[in-house]
Formats: sequence, structure tokens, C-alpha cells
Amino acid sequence: MIKINDLHASINAESEDSKEILKGITLEIPAGEVHAIMGPNGSGKSTLSYVLAGRDDYEVTSGTATMDGVDLLDMDPEERAAAGVFLAFQYPVEIPGVNMSTFLKTSLNSVRKQRGEDELDALAILKLIKTKCKELGISEDMMKRAVNVGFSGGEKKRNEVLQMAMLAPKFAVLDETDSGLDIDALKIVADGVNKMRDPNRSFLVITHYQRLLEYIKPDVVHVLAHGKIVKSGGPELAHELEEKGYAEFLDEAA
Amino acid sequence: MTLPALDIKNLPTPKEETWKYTNLSRALPDSLNLADKQEEILIHKGRGEITGKAEEIVLTGHEGQHHQPRLNITLEPGAELTIIERHEGDGAYWKNMVSIIEIGANAKLRHIRIQDDDKQAVNTSMVRIALARDAVYDSFTLNMGGKLTRHEIHAVIQGENAECTLNGVNLLNGEQHGDTTILIEHQAPHCASNQFYRSVLDDSARGVFQGKVHVHKAAQKTDGYQLSNALLLSPKAEMDTKPELEIYADDVLCSHGATTGQLDEDPLFYLRQRGLTEADARMLLIQAFVNEVVDKVADETAKATIEEKAQAWLQEALKK
Repeated sequence: MIKINDLHASINAESEDSKEILKGITLEIPAGEVHAIMGPNGSGKSTLSYVLAGRDDYEVTSGTATMDGVDLLDMDPEERAAAGVFLAFQYPVEIPGVNMSTFLKTSLNSVRKQRGEDELDALAILKLIKTKCKELGISEDMMKRAVNVGFSGGEKKRNEVLQMAMLAPKFAVLDETDSGLDIDALKIVADGVNKMRDPNRSFLVITHYQRLLEYIKPDVVHVLAHGKIVKSGGPELAHELEEKGYAEFLDEAA
Repeated sequence: MTLPALDIKNLPTPKEETWKYTNLSRALPDSLNLADKQEEILIHKGRGEITGKAEEIVLTGHEGQHHQPRLNITLEPGAELTIIERHEGDGAYWKNMVSIIEIGANAKLRHIRIQDDDKQAVNTSMVRIALARDAVYDSFTLNMGGKLTRHEIHAVIQGENAECTLNGVNLLNGEQHGDTTILIEHQAPHCASNQFYRSVLDDSARGVFQGKVHVHKAAQKTDGYQLSNALLLSPKAEMDTKPELEIYADDVLCSHGATTGQLDEDPLFYLRQRGLTEADARMLLIQAFVNEVVDKVADETAKATIEEKAQAWLQEALKK
């Protein structure tokens, strides 16, 4: 289970332009649950995902974040990955010159090595890739291409879900995975996520739109505004937001 | 073509425009045996002669030597050849090389250079290439040895529909200085030239890339491409880049680009989020940067050698 307590984070913490973006986030995601975070642009949604994954552009100034009682904030990004934290990026990064199968193999074996598990040989990995591609409706031709290079928006997001399926994390953060997707691509992505729902796995689904939550049914919906969670509720809260917009929360927090 | 040999009694100085980043006389060993004779290598392939297996030339320098290899390659029309030119040696010496390459109509030369001279040595290599119609010159240079190296290429495309490719990778560290200076002259229409160079510079190493494409008035429909990317692994490393286009024809497609910088943070974080350690992520990204050029080497054996040497170099560089 994920516990985030009074988390504050700033960008450019050391300099004069220092700006606090997360202003005390408290959140608990029990194992097996899917929580959604909705909020207007600039509310701190992406910052929260980067802080949880360990990007060092942000500095945590106070508060804690733990997974099964283990402090996440003290770990390097790769240690968090090995512990079971996965971030599906809002903008998956293109890596020219590194092909997909090499990337997936290196990623999976790096995680296994850190966990003290045996590395898988090329054949076993290939088999696993084949199975997962089939499950997710991803063409295997994609495996011969360089990571995300020349991929369409939909392919990039499906690729994120494929990596999540390969790494089988304990805690997956999906950062605006729905942005820019047409309805068919959205369904494929949501379907991939739903297949991975598990009593031992938690999800944090960050989104701007309620539409995604039609396909990935959350247990709890939180509203993030001005770096704080200003309201939490059931799935009905998402519908409310879709109708009324975020104006009321922006006023409240300001 | 005139012989562009460098003369020890009349060395170029940084006052000359194309030598402004490279001070040759300061780098030459103090004592050189000037009595050394020239070494002549003649390669001639007759009309339509196709050589399947790559031919290897090894040029070895020795302490105190003023080594002056002269390489002449002539391919008659329709001939095909792959040459692997290896540079090695031991001690402080000056390898002062001249290569004259003539490629006849519809002939094809693949020229792979692996320059791994001693770290105290100076290597200057002046290359003149003439391409007849439908000729292909496809070259790759791995530049990793020497204290100071200068690879100067002057290619003249004389016949139509010819293609000239000059690719290379520089892997330099310590106080190494590697200079690549290129002039491609397009004198005939419907020809293509490509230049794709990537440099990885560590410590106080300095790379120089000067590439000029000169398109003469007659050379309509020229397709000229030039790209130099440099990755600096240390704050003291330096890259000087001077891309130039000089175009007198009005219907051509020419582009050039140059970048110099450090490794991007975004892919680094992406890979670490996927479990790679920072060292592994860096290695993978730098390797990919280099391999995008190496992948264009057509000869599989040479490609494997180059990949192996590059990998060993990178592992050493990232150990620090």
C-alpha cells in the first residue's frame, strides 16, 4: 500500500526562482485499488508523478512517501523501479539508436538483477514480449524499431502499457496516458490497464478528462488544485467535474 | 591532381584559414628521423574487376619515425573494392600520409579507416578523391588514436549521378586533438554527397569538424547532406565545428546541421525509471549515439571490429 503524507516539493529549490508546486499532499492507496487524480493544468499533477518516480529536477522539502512501509523518497529512480514503482510517461521519450527489444530486455533484466533474481536469456525475453504484445494487440514489428522513434501518439502510449505489463509493478502511476488518444487507442490502453488490476497492485491514474475513467473505473477520485488535494470522493465526483469544470476548486484554494 | 603532401620544412600554421584550430608544428615530436623513405602502396583494379573480400592495409608507425605512406587506389570502370586501412604504432612519430583515389565510371570503393595510432603520435592524412560518372565512394573513419590527428579529405565529383559518402566517429580523451576537414566539390549534375560525423569527447579532448560543400554552377540537382553531432562527457572537452555550404547552382537540395552538448536528461531519466542504473543508462545512450553512424558500415567484419573497439573505449570512459 502507498502512503503519501504532507508532501511538499519545489522546483529550482536552491535558486531564487524556487517555486513550491506540491503544497502538502496526503494520500493513501490501499493494495488493489485504483485512485484517480484530476485537476486543472498547473495544479501539480505531473510534478506528483515525477516526484514519486524520483526525477531530480524536483526537491522534496518535507513530507513522506512510502510503499509497504519503505521510504521511496530516499531511493534512486532505478531502485524505485526495482522496488515496483512504474511511471507511464505523459510524453514517452524517443531514444534513437536503441531498438525496442534491446530496451525491454535491458530494462527487465536490470530490475531482476537489482531484486536478486536471475537474468532471463534472450529467448525467454522474446517469448515474454511475444505473449504481452499479443495480449495488448501490439504489432511485433514495433519491436524492431528504435524506442518511440516515429511512433504515433497511440503507439507510444501502448508501448508504455507494454512496458508496464513486462515489469509487473506493485504501484503504477499513469500520467495523462489518455491525452491525445482517439477512442480506439484509449480503449486498447484502458483494456491493458484493466487486465493488470490485481489485489496486490495499486494504480494512480492522473488525468485531465473524465472520459478515461469510463474505461478504467477508479475506486476513489481526488481533485488536485494549487498543489493540494481539495476534494476526494467516489467515481461520481469525476462526472461532477466533467459537468461543472474546475472553477469552484480554483476559487476555493486561492 | 596535385600531390597535397605536407612538407616538414613548410608546415601549415593556424594563420591559414583551414588550419586555424589545429597547431601541427607544436604537436610534432622533437626528434624525427628525416631520412625515412616514403612507402608506396599501389592498388589497381581493372575494368569490371570485383573484389569480394575486403583488402587490408596496415600502417605501423615507430618511435622517432617520419613515416610517409603514399597510397594510390585506382578503380577502372565497373570495378568494386573494399579497403580496410588500419593505423597503429608504438611511440612518438609522425605519420604523414597522402592518399590519391580515382574511381572510374560506375566503379565502387568502400573505404574503412581504423585510426588507432599511439597516443604520442601525430597522424596527418591528406586524401584526394576523384569520382567519375555513376561512381560511388563510401567511407567510414573511426578516429581514436594519436595525440593530434588531421584527416583532410578533398573529394571532387566530376561525373553525373555519382555518390560520395564520408562518415566517421571520433572517440577522444586525455589531451587528444582530432581534426576532420572536408571539402566536397560538386562539379556535375545529379550527384549526392553525405557527411555524417559523431564525436564523443572526454577529459580535455578537442574535436574539430570543418565540412564544406561546394556546388558548382553546372551541378544542378545536387543532393548534399552534412551533419556533425558531438557529445561532451567532460566540462573541459571542446568541439569546434564549421559547416559551410557554397552553392552556385539554383536547383539543389543541401542541408547541414551541427550540435554539441551533453547527454540529454530526459532519456536518461526514462531509462532509469525502467530500472537501468545511471551508468548503464549512460552507456546505452552513448553507444546508441555512436552506433547510428557505425551501422552504416557495410562490411560486417569491419563493423564488428569497430563496434568492439568503440565499446571498449566507452567502458573505459564511463569507469571514472
